[in-house]
Amino acid sequence: MTAAPAATKHKLFSPARVSAIASNTLLELVRLKVFYFMLLFALLIIGSSAFTSKFSFQEQFQVLKDVSLGAMSIFTWLLAVLATAMLLPKDIEDRTLYTILAKPVPRFEYLLGKFLGVLFLLFIAISLMSAVFVVVLYTREQTALAEASRGVPPNLLTDEIRQIRASAFNSNLLPGIVIIYLKAALCAALTLLLSTFASSWIFTIITSVVVYLIGHIQPIAREAYLASATVAPLTKIFLALVSLLIPDLTALSLVDDIVVGNAIPMLLFAKTAALGGIYVCFYFLVGYFVFSGKEL
Amino acid sequence: MMATPAISIQNVTKIYPIPFKREKVTAVSDLSLTVEPGQVYGLLGPNGSGKSTTMKIVLGLVSPTSGKTEIFGRDSTTVESREDVGFLPENPYFYKYLTGEETLHFYGKLCGLSGAKIRERAKELLKLVGLENAANRRLAGYSKGMLQRIGLAQAMIQEPRLLVLDEPTAGVDPAGSREIRDLILDFKKRGITVLLCSHLLEQVQEICDRIGILHRGALIREGKLEDLISIQDQTELILENATPELLSELQAVIANSSARLLDQRKPQKTLERYFLDVTGPQP
Repeated sequence: MTAAPAATKHKLFSPARVSAIASNTLLELVRLKVFYFMLLFALLIIGSSAFTSKFSFQEQFQVLKDVSLGAMSIFTWLLAVLATAMLLPKDIEDRTLYTILAKPVPRFEYLLGKFLGVLFLLFIAISLMSAVFVVVLYTREQTALAEASRGVPPNLLTDEIRQIRASAFNSNLLPGIVIIYLKAALCAALTLLLSTFASSWIFTIITSVVVYLIGHIQPIAREAYLASATVAPLTKIFLALVSLLIPDLTALSLVDDIVVGNAIPMLLFAKTAALGGIYVCFYFLVGYFVFSGKEL
Repeated sequence: MMATPAISIQNVTKIYPIPFKREKVTAVSDLSLTVEPGQVYGLLGPNGSGKSTTMKIVLGLVSPTSGKTEIFGRDSTTVESREDVGFLPENPYFYKYLTGEETLHFYGKLCGLSGAKIRERAKELLKLVGLENAANRRLAGYSKGMLQRIGLAQAMIQEPRLLVLDEPTAGVDPAGSREIRDLILDFKKRGITVLLCSHLLEQVQEICDRIGILHRGALIREGKLEDLISIQDQTELILENATPELLSELQAVIANSSARLLDQRKPQKTLERYFLDVTGPQP
């Protein structure tokens, strides 16, 4: 073994380095046993369907979708915030960040790798939750179909079966789940941004939760203020700034439409997805900007 | 033609602002030093003297307020300069869920090495640091000394020309400390430049060619170790099997000269050597 004679040509961006960091981050997060969330989720939706057995099949499916998609939204958000908040502080505290950045790894790649690791985790989590949800929904559908075949007169059965099938599964479910994922990704990007300058992960989590809450109430507050004629110009500027920096998180949800069975137009889905995607990129890039100048 | 220095630090100053106060802290003040290729350079100083900040500036983890640092002629603020550097921080905790071998694979990938090259280097380095038998064990089960040795192996994964080591033997028992010291001497033999920060002055004395002493952010002494610590007007003779007659004769000769005999004693082993002799493998 000898010392290297000279340095090799450095690649400005290396997908291999990013994927090494991302897969290691995923492994790190999976080892934190975050998938216990899934068990809770499964219990919650199976339990909710037990309470609705006396309702009509439409009501049963509505409650099941409402509870499942709502729980999916909450669990992915919690997972996004908790998993992301600790990533950077832990690497700094253990000095593993130094060993990584002392290699020819640009800070952008490090941060992107960490973020992609969280996105993979959220993808696995939402896929597992969707699978549990689909299985429970399918089981309820089959039960409803079996009950219909026993209790509905033969001349009405075809109509009834069609109605049951239409109420159980419809094409809105997938876009709804995609938007839940995007919302969680947005919260992860926001948490990552906060952790680039926060002094502790507890501060990061609390601030992220506060921003999440503001994101849900800001459209109401903004409308109330703007409706008043006496709003000062300074307040208007402040509100404009807040609504620019913190997205309207109520706009990032299609759950209500899905539950009542409204069709989701492709344009609405595309607009909502684009809004989520833009904020994910925006928060990530601001996070990188802060991290690139951080003294380690 | 002079070789490009492994490390060149030119008039570096680092000032940290104190949040919410007007005061500032000068961690490093107008520091200039050069480490030539193949040298083992010891950077010494009490706590808070600016050693770690200097190291971080060299590694590009911290930007200097003014001045410039280069690694083999490349600006050390650039990512490319780190292709030539391996770093072992003080008390590192690597990812505990990875095995020794997986840790080296991870760092190898970060350095852009191919799969075959990583396997070859990992095998070679695990053997070099004496962790062949622990290659498939998770780091959570490694002792302090083993963690330091896997740390040295990861620092060496891409065959860097420069190693930066921050307190590499901190918290390690004397036998482990000796192994790490032997590894550093082995790296030196291979022509690898080493920048070493340590509080263990005895160890620094044993392995460093050149030292710099930092105090309150300023370099107060710098030079070849032997020049700095030898007492120029004194001479040491160590004799083996000298008879009492010979010693009397020598004393008489000295008494008749202008020189003065200051001390005459039996040389002693270091406590570390004695400890290693009694706790090491018995013949």
